[in-house]
Amino acid sequence: MAPSATPDSPPATPISDNEENSLQPFFVLHKGVPQISERKASGPGKTRRKICLSPTSPTAAEKSKVDVVDEEDGHQYKQLRIEAFDLVWSRIENTIKDVLREINISVFDEIHSWLRQCFSTIRSSGTPGVSEITRSYPLFTDLTCRQIFTGLVFTRNVEFVDDLLTFQELGEHLKSCGCHVCNLSSLDFSTKNGLGGCLRSLLRRLVMVTPETADIAILASWYCEEGNCSPLVVIIDDMERCSGSVLAEFIMLLSEWVIKIPVILIMGITTTIDAPRSLLPSNALQKLCPCKFTLGSPAERMDSIVEAVLLKSCFGFTVGYKVANFLRNYFLKQDGTVTSFIRALKIACAKHFYMEPLSFMARGFLEDDSQSFWSAKCVHLPEGVLKCAFDLPSCEKNKMAEETSENLANGLSDLKNSVKNWASVVLCLYEAGKFQNMLLLDILCEALDPALCNSNALDNHVEIGNDSAKPSSLDHYPLGGQYAGLRKGSFISQAVSRVRDLPLVPLSQLLKNWRKQSKEITELQDKVKELQSMLKHEENGKSLTRAAADTLKRPSRSAWNMEKDTKTVNDKAARLMLYMVRKYLKPIECVPFHEIICFKLVDILQSTLIGDPRRRIQLDLLNSRNYLQCNCCSKSGDAILPSMHDTSILYTLAQEHGDLINLHDWFQSFKTIVLQPITKGKQKVKKSPSSKKGKYMNDSQDTSEALIQARFCRALTELRITGLFRMPSKRRPDFVQRVAFGL
Amino acid sequence: MGGESPAEKALVLLRSRLCNHSYILKHFSDSSDSNYSKLKFTLSNSITEACNNSILLLGPRGCGKNAVLDLVLSDLQVEHSDLISVIRLNGLLHSDDNCALKEIARQLCMEHQLLFSKMASSDDNSHFMIAMLRECGLAHKTIIFVLDEFDLFAQGKQRLLYSLLDALQSVTSQAVVIGISCRLDADQLLEKRVRSRFSHRKLLFLPPSKEYLHRLMGNILSLPTDSSFPYEYAIAYNAKLQNILGDQIFTEIINKLSNADSSLDHFLRFLFCAVCYMDLDSGFLSIENFKTALLSIQRQPKLESIKDCSVLELYILVCMKRLEVKEQNSYNFNSIMKEYKVIHDSFKTSDFYAQNVCLRAFEHLIQHELISYMDNRGQNQSVEFRPVKLLLSSHELYQGLKSNGSCPAILQKLIDREI
Amino acid sequence: MIWKDLGRLSRMIIHLRRLSTLRAVNSQRIAPRELPSSEMYHFFWIRRETKVSDSLLGAENFFFPEEMVDEETPQVTKRMTRSCFSTTHSNSSTETRKKSDPRPLSTTDDSVIGEEPTNLDTLLSCFPGRRLQIVELLHLIGPLNCPMLPLFLYGGASTGKTSILLQVFRHLKRPFVYSSCRTCYNPRILFESTLNQLLLHRRNMENSYSSAKRCERPADFVNFLREALTDFINNLKGYVRKSNLKESVEQGDGRMVYLIFDSVELIRGWDKNSGIISLLFKLHDILKMPDVGLIFISNTSPDTYYSNTGYVEPIPVHFPDYKEDDLIQIFMRNQKNQKLYSSFLETVLRPFSRITKQADELSTAFQPLFEKYCEPISDMGIAPNDDMKRMLFGHLRPHIASALNEVFKVSSVSSVKVEAIEDKARRKDSIMKLGTGDASNELDLHLSISAKYLLISAFLASRNRATLDASLFDSTGGSDSRKRRRKSSGTTMEHKENAEKEMLMKGPGTFPLERLLAVFQCLISVDESSVEEEQQAASQLESEDREMRLMSDVLLQLSTLCNANFISKGGSCPLEGSTRYRCNVSEEMAMKVARRLKFPLSKLSAAKFAELLMVYVFHTGSDSILIFHVDVFQTWGGGISRSPCASISAP
Repeated sequence: MAPSATPDSPPATPISDNEENSLQPFFVLHKGVPQISERKASGPGKTRRKICLSPTSPTAAEKSKVDVVDEEDGHQYKQLRIEAFDLVWSRIENTIKDVLREINISVFDEIHSWLRQCFSTIRSSGTPGVSEITRSYPLFTDLTCRQIFTGLVFTRNVEFVDDLLTFQELGEHLKSCGCHVCNLSSLDFSTKNGLGGCLRSLLRRLVMVTPETADIAILASWYCEEGNCSPLVVIIDDMERCSGSVLAEFIMLLSEWVIKIPVILIMGITTTIDAPRSLLPSNALQKLCPCKFTLGSPAERMDSIVEAVLLKSCFGFTVGYKVANFLRNYFLKQDGTVTSFIRALKIACAKHFYMEPLSFMARGFLEDDSQSFWSAKCVHLPEGVLKCAFDLPSCEKNKMAEETSENLANGLSDLKNSVKNWASVVLCLYEAGKFQNMLLLDILCEALDPALCNSNALDNHVEIGNDSAKPSSLDHYPLGGQYAGLRKGSFISQAVSRVRDLPLVPLSQLLKNWRKQSKEITELQDKVKELQSMLKHEENGKSLTRAAADTLKRPSRSAWNMEKDTKTVNDKAARLMLYMVRKYLKPIECVPFHEIICFKLVDILQSTLIGDPRRRIQLDLLNSRNYLQCNCCSKSGDAILPSMHDTSILYTLAQEHGDLINLHDWFQSFKTIVLQPITKGKQKVKKSPSSKKGKYMNDSQDTSEALIQARFCRALTELRITGLFRMPSKRRPDFVQRVAFGL
Repeated sequence: MGGESPAEKALVLLRSRLCNHSYILKHFSDSSDSNYSKLKFTLSNSITEACNNSILLLGPRGCGKNAVLDLVLSDLQVEHSDLISVIRLNGLLHSDDNCALKEIARQLCMEHQLLFSKMASSDDNSHFMIAMLRECGLAHKTIIFVLDEFDLFAQGKQRLLYSLLDALQSVTSQAVVIGISCRLDADQLLEKRVRSRFSHRKLLFLPPSKEYLHRLMGNILSLPTDSSFPYEYAIAYNAKLQNILGDQIFTEIINKLSNADSSLDHFLRFLFCAVCYMDLDSGFLSIENFKTALLSIQRQPKLESIKDCSVLELYILVCMKRLEVKEQNSYNFNSIMKEYKVIHDSFKTSDFYAQNVCLRAFEHLIQHELISYMDNRGQNQSVEFRPVKLLLSSHELYQGLKSNGSCPAILQKLIDREI
Repeated sequence: MIWKDLGRLSRMIIHLRRLSTLRAVNSQRIAPRELPSSEMYHFFWIRRETKVSDSLLGAENFFFPEEMVDEETPQVTKRMTRSCFSTTHSNSSTETRKKSDPRPLSTTDDSVIGEEPTNLDTLLSCFPGRRLQIVELLHLIGPLNCPMLPLFLYGGASTGKTSILLQVFRHLKRPFVYSSCRTCYNPRILFESTLNQLLLHRRNMENSYSSAKRCERPADFVNFLREALTDFINNLKGYVRKSNLKESVEQGDGRMVYLIFDSVELIRGWDKNSGIISLLFKLHDILKMPDVGLIFISNTSPDTYYSNTGYVEPIPVHFPDYKEDDLIQIFMRNQKNQKLYSSFLETVLRPFSRITKQADELSTAFQPLFEKYCEPISDMGIAPNDDMKRMLFGHLRPHIASALNEVFKVSSVSSVKVEAIEDKARRKDSIMKLGTGDASNELDLHLSISAKYLLISAFLASRNRATLDASLFDSTGGSDSRKRRRKSSGTTMEHKENAEKEMLMKGPGTFPLERLLAVFQCLISVDESSVEEEQQAASQLESEDREMRLMSDVLLQLSTLCNANFISKGGSCPLEGSTRYRCNVSEEMAMKVARRLKFPLSKLSAAKFAELLMVYVFHTGSDSILIFHVDVFQTWGGGISRSPCASISAP
């Protein structure tokens, strides 16, 4: 369990890299978010760790749910759940890692082969000798060879978080291929340190010395001693953030040495292809011989992760409809980082295993023969556990015969099967959807919708024979316009419609894929098979191909009219599609016992992920008494007491002003608050008399006057640091402005 | 090295003459009123009388201040060898007081075969200097401080000058401070305390006169008719030289030259080029050599770089010119592009190029320093928004357009309209 | 130090004085050489002969305190007087010889080109169109062993200054020291690399890549340089003599050494080192060594080197840009199929040379074009006849137009589809709106929705006048603000127009954080509808508090955009709110983003913008705005859709 909690797990990465480049705008706020989410979210995060270490501290919230089991040996079950969690999550994590690596590896290989050929072109003019390399003046070469080969790696994602590791891995990969690699980041190209700075860090990383003068000649002689036989790769993670002038100087400098030292640049570009053009002057651009590589876009990564984790194989943990939706929206709208998605997944998982008493059963999904596993487990289940299993709302609906362990075991295995079928159908849909590049995430969200299940339920009786479909039924499922389950224009219906007007070649491709996807469901298997055989015949029959061909030209609507009378394979395929959807696309939330593996509590996740620091800060300042529960505040409601913390007093007072606050008034009211005796209850702040009084204080008290001023200043500074206020400007020196938004 | 022809030997001789100033000045040291004799007189006085002294040698660059001084010093070295020791400082190198003191200490050590330590602190050095001054004074040894680029010494707090001149006030010490500067107001730069200690003796160096130059050429360029060269070659050479010097065209060339810049150095550079172009087969100087030399000395860089401009760059230049004529107070690349587009729309020119291409051309112009940014504020702003200005006079631009072969006619018309 | 303790110094000085006065009596002339008395003999005056003798054995440990000794030993002599240079340097140089090779110094590959000398014709043939310059150079450098005045080579980029000079020296086979001010990007490195080459110092693992001498000050540099040069030249002379003894009559390298400083124009850029450039120009006069030749190479003409008191100008040698026929020769140099390439050139060169005359830029532009040109041809060996030329030209023509307007062409080996996109883009790259890399309509970039909104609002904020909304944010009484409105609002339209224009000329304006956030909030609230249809899968719970969510970590998004250079922020510390931002996103980029969001950016006029701000002020709920809002209704004919007003009530 230790490895799953170590910082190398996905949630740790964004935090660490935030620290890494700490010279960011909004340092406080930016850095705040991961921390805060850590704090609040880890509700789960921490408790999970707590569980691992000392399993005897559930927080108040969860107790109620847990204590059902707690009378009898809850401890043991908790332990079981923990083990289950560790097992499940480690599986998930590994799959995610593998998926991501899979995505990158192809690009890495491309880059490497490109490197090789660049190197050979550099060396085509012959390898310079040691004396030539260390010589101070450039070799006499042709003009065109003066360029530096440059790989522009496009991470089509503005958020840099996901790609931090990517470039490290790229470096490792190239190192393993026997190049000298040096990873530089934009911090090395700052205007403050200038050219010397980046050369120095280059030397430090490669030559492993820190010379007093960062001279490129050192690199040259080092390269000779290394035996000048392998390319020298300089990887710049984030090119946009470098200072353009320094980068330009660096490039010009390298271009003087490029023949002697075969340097090859690799620059990560997060935005568009215009970035280098806008950053560098033309003479530096001239020195580059660029070549473009593209990493997988976050959407693609997302899809492959979702496919691997939620669909391909069931790890005994899935998410409910709302959660999926939330995750999707969070990804699309908040920050499009895969990292945060993974973090969310992890939190959800931990939360689920912590709160769901029966979740230890989930281990069964990982077993090969889960049926026997469950039956073995269920036999030993005590009554209480069984009871709370059958009390799950999902089996309230369709009541089982009696609450026996076998029933539970069967139910679980049914659950597993249905989940399998569901997944394979979703994948089939996705295959179809790919043709009008849908996101898997969208389809997934739709397929999880419980509404779907209800609709299926009500027309489940509609019996669909092997292929003798009655025209009536045919008429009312073209494209599920009025088809209950699918809303018009929903993704699934779109996919189906797409299937209808597919040309032959992609269609056969699609069928192949379907066959691959639907291995489990034999029924589908043979349906698909016969479709394929039909396809064969069609390919022989020219006429139909033409028909199929000009379905292409036609817009889909007319195509569909045409298809009404002639049943082509498309039609059949589409119907098969619909049939699949009907029969097997059973959202998990309608299956009994799904609570055991399905996480549905969206609001926890939401509060966890969207830290909304500014809002939080302001709220907390406004009612600080809820946090520090001191007795003095508890009795007097929301009155401002001198015993409160200065900052919160100040902020509460600020609520009475507009966006611009007169410092003097503010201070006066603050003083009145502070000076009033704690004993007497609090009234509304009366400015004028108190301030007068404040003015004419005698000498004994002006020490306290100074003290109050000091406290005022400190509180104000704190408010400023939290970014809620802006200091007085030149124009109006006696006013502070409040940076008002969010509340 | 017997292998080389007399012509080559002549060439080497002439070049070494031209590169060696003291040789050039040697002939003209005789006249009593020359700076040489004045300087020598004062210096030898202050050496023999064992008195302190300070002189300023002022005059525009390249009038042989240093050369004359060197000549004088070398002569003095010969006359009374052990009585003087020369310390040379240069404002470019030693304007910083500490490093100046260090340098003085180093040279003193070198003169008197002492061990010099780099680690000595600056006041150690100054103590050492004072002590040495006193010592040498007592040993009747004059230390001559030569401060080249004197004005640069006067920049900072002038601690060095003060301590030097202050040391001169004491009876024991015996030293001469010679300041060389091309700023005629060099002594006005001095602080009061320094100026009060400074004896305001100035020598003014002026560009040489025509006939002086003429005699000079005669002397420099003529070959010795002794055994070093084959006799008839030397005779023939000198004869040819004489009638070149007598030539009318030649005097014109000289006039052109001295109208531009009549300083000695410039003149010598010109001669150097001329000598370099002497062709070794004939072994004689010809009038063409001098012509080419004049061309290569007097260059018009702006014109040359306009001549190198491509058509697009010319377009940009003309656009900027038009903007300036319109008294647009400040304009940047975008406004230039606007103007460019206007021209294109009104005249339907064939070459209208993309913005980034124009931007590249624009940057070329900046690199050639035909145009430059108004200010170096706002580096963070991207190039096309920074205000720029033209570094060409309208006449230069006009000339350049005319001289540029590939300049389209439309630009000519436009610029004619402007001027 | 020895003289450092002044007590002892003064003591012996007294003694000295006594002596001197006593001498002065009987003889007028005083030679310091006779002065020293026996007891100070050892540590004060040091006689030449003694020092020469024991400088090598006893010197370090007797005459020098520790901090001198522990420095590198072969340079012991640099603290002694001239007289003993020859001895120690002879041995230092011998060890360097041992290190490098039996060949004499002057031809070790540090200081002269190791390759065989080229003869004049090959030299001239290497550089077409440079005959004049080469000959001039040869003249100015002159025959063997004759001094020269400093030279100044100048000319535009890639006119062959450096390579020609180097080849000339290779031809002359003379020792030189080359240091480029681009590689040596600050004075110290410049000095040290020059000295390293003179002292034949090679940086390597043993000396942990340190340089021969540590020298930062110009003063030290000049001293070291003088020593190193004299030493070097002595060796040269020695070598010349030797070579004459053994009658190897190969044209010796002479006893001149040339210092070459490349791209000196950069020195002007070095901050606070304005002295360096004038030092270099005056170096010849400072050193006063006839055996040293100075050559400067610069991109800019001599008149760009201003200095307040002027400088002694070196002799200028100008390298003009290549003419067209020169360019033809250059590009023809190493082509396999001359005929084909020449036909290619005559189609291509003229149009391109109207844009730029720099050989390197042209060659980079030509490379891909030539490949395109050769595509239709089967065998590369053929000599094209006319109609074939015509055919090829027809094939090439479309590419020329696009290539003319492309500065930075990014090839891609990787995926075919990228290629396709780029080709499409280049096709679409019409003469009017080119320059912006790939003009493909969809932006191939993942931005979260809130980031997109933020980007658009930043775009708006920096493209529109702040005067329009500046007065909204201060809570002065409604009345005067109304008056102000009245006045301004009448003239707003045309005021807006030219304001817009000049603003776009001057570049994007800056704006404070508050303004950005205000605009951002408005956009979100106004655009609910579009967002709605933009993802209809969104569930209820999610759609109601969308705004809150979008607002939540907007600062994160902002910093992300800053990192991506979409928004650049002013220098001041982010803690004071006074940081100002500027959005430097191009028009079409913003349009792309807006298209993604179905946001009517193009239609968003000034009036609309102002009205959006109104909506914001309702959020913040300060009073003086209602009036203004009504104002806006009147003045701009109430072009306000209901949506913003509706959306006011929502949050």
